[in-house]
Amino acid sequence: MSLLSILGVFSSAIFSGTSLLYTTLGEVIHERSGIVNLGLEGVLLVSASSSFAVTVITGSPFLGVLVAMLAGALMNMVLGYLVIHRKANQLATGLALMFFGFGLSAIIGKPYVGMRIDGLPRYALPGLEGLPRLYASLFSFDILIILVMPISILVWWLLFRTRWGLGLRAVGENADTAFASGRNPLLYRYQALALGGLLAGLGAAHLAIAYTMNWTEYMTAGRGFIAVALVIFSRWHPLRAIAGALLFSGAVAFQLLLQSSGAQISPFLLDTTPYFLTLLVLIAWGGNRKQSAPASLGRVYHGSE
Amino acid sequence: MDEEHDITHRSTTRKEKQMKKNLFYRLAVLAIGAALLLGACGPAAAVAPTEAEAPEESAAEPTEAPAEPTEAPVAEEPCLIIGALYGGPITDAGYNQAMHEAVVAIKENIACVEIIEAENVPDEAGATTTMENMISQGATLIFATAFNHQYPALELAGEHPEVIFEHAGGWEMSSNFANFFGKPPDGWYMMGVAAGMMTETNKLGFVAAFPLGWTSTFINAFELGALSVNPDAQTIVAYTFSWGDRAKEADTTNSLINQGVDVITMHVDSPSTVLSTAESRGVYSIGYQNLAAQQFAPEYWISGTGFTLGGKLTWLTSTVLDGTWKPIFLRCGISDGCMAIGPFGPNVPQEVQDAVAEAQAAIDSGELVVFQGPIVDQDGTVRVADGEVLTDDLMSSVDWFVLGVIGSSK
Repeated sequence: MSLLSILGVFSSAIFSGTSLLYTTLGEVIHERSGIVNLGLEGVLLVSASSSFAVTVITGSPFLGVLVAMLAGALMNMVLGYLVIHRKANQLATGLALMFFGFGLSAIIGKPYVGMRIDGLPRYALPGLEGLPRLYASLFSFDILIILVMPISILVWWLLFRTRWGLGLRAVGENADTAFASGRNPLLYRYQALALGGLLAGLGAAHLAIAYTMNWTEYMTAGRGFIAVALVIFSRWHPLRAIAGALLFSGAVAFQLLLQSSGAQISPFLLDTTPYFLTLLVLIAWGGNRKQSAPASLGRVYHGSE
Repeated sequence: MDEEHDITHRSTTRKEKQMKKNLFYRLAVLAIGAALLLGACGPAAAVAPTEAEAPEESAAEPTEAPAEPTEAPVAEEPCLIIGALYGGPITDAGYNQAMHEAVVAIKENIACVEIIEAENVPDEAGATTTMENMISQGATLIFATAFNHQYPALELAGEHPEVIFEHAGGWEMSSNFANFFGKPPDGWYMMGVAAGMMTETNKLGFVAAFPLGWTSTFINAFELGALSVNPDAQTIVAYTFSWGDRAKEADTTNSLINQGVDVITMHVDSPSTVLSTAESRGVYSIGYQNLAAQQFAPEYWISGTGFTLGGKLTWLTSTVLDGTWKPIFLRCGISDGCMAIGPFGPNVPQEVQDAVAEAQAAIDSGELVVFQGPIVDQDGTVRVADGEVLTDDLMSSVDWFVLGVIGSSK
């Protein structure tokens, strides 16, 4: 295995982990407020298709990113209306939102299948300009990759170092108590969903107009669900989410490296590596520590009397 | 959930109305969910009727068709209604677009036919309802173009003896069901010749969706072509396990490139992501399925093969119109016009283009047969003995790679 191929695993982990990380961060925020969004897959698809469509129409990927964020927030508002206002079951509504997203994204994206776009521009890391293109292109990042770490830290700061974050977590633990201390749980949950939608939109935009530069039906291929799983994996913590996203996408890149280096192992088996590895880590961590899921996750807040 | 129940129970005495309301909303959400679920599962059935105008009289009799179909004027009543269904979107710059273009070509050549199309019909259940729908709209010739359409079409062929079914790339046959396809291995061999000459690292990369028989055959033909001009050429294979997971295609392409591969090709639904990823790394690429793929790699495109079945489908249609249609295995190659080699990219030297043309001439004349024995696999086992040729039937179930391919096929 050459230096290039090992560097390549890191590069692929970063490139394909970015969309996962944004999506996971978004889910961390609204799960911290007590809302599980199982419709994330649909949110991602609608964001991805609309950002791709806008990029084709206007030729500006930056406008595409903006539209992806808005679309993500809008989809989450639909969920919010149903589960917060209408007090519907979160799991059922989430799944309904997912199927709604399948259909809606297919309609939005239909005229743009197979179109070519110029994706988000990539910038070479300073100091790497002199390298051959094959190496330099490994670490030429677009703006969404550059921003993903600062945004993770920002999310951590918001959740754990601001009064708003304290209020949000209080709502997620016990909405009645939060209400008693003068906070409006409904408002917090809407805000969390909006913010989470914006972040999921960034993830979708990275997938469609930065990494693959392509729109196909169901192109997310389960990434929304992987993000939901990564939230549990990272125990509802934005900084551990970085590790989770990198580990998962790194494992995908690593099994591809094994395949392409000619290892005589069945590709069927290799393809399961990332999931197997995630399971191993979960087993190794065990459940000996205090369960850190927000206490009222998934519960309907009926208001306090 | 428990708490939810507690609250509803507590409030039964005082707020019976509200409980009913809650129940109503829950049911409503479930109903919406179910409706959306059904909607998502059966898009195919919905597509067919909207895309075509249903004729008032569905009895189109092929025997009464005009004798000179190519000159027939556009009549009010179509001389033949053709149903065509595709496994994916018809703008994918890949297989489905190629099939769609072939069907459209029938209409261009025989103006009096009417075409009903349905795209995104990947599964068997959807294929059955879509085809039934087309038949009820009067279709008497059906082109089923996806792998999963074969058995639904064969079954319907038994129920509807008046309808003729043509399926792409299968192997079954009945009195009103037949198969047509190109001969992709020949094209893959020629692309291997080009790749073997273009590579400097002697490593060629192949992004494949699944370890399927035909995919292995394409990979083998590609490597044999490369070996014919470059005895050191290796083809490295990596699988994505999805026909359309674009991010994984990009990951796989990068992984191959990082192994030192300097020519990339693929067998996935649409070549666009693999081509644009290779382009962004400055690596040569070869397309497959549809020649429209070249736009994704303007600088590093070598060439590609694509299906151009319009002429043969037109001929099949004309035999249906004049009543001479018979069930045959129609397999046609580049020399018959069923497949084409794409234009060469700007960086491909003349000698490479000449070598490809030579290989093509040798294949056309029958002097060169791609899978002519002796052929030895990765382990050194003889798979095709000296003097024998790998038959089309065996090609679809190949689970071994020729010597020189790096990777595992099962």
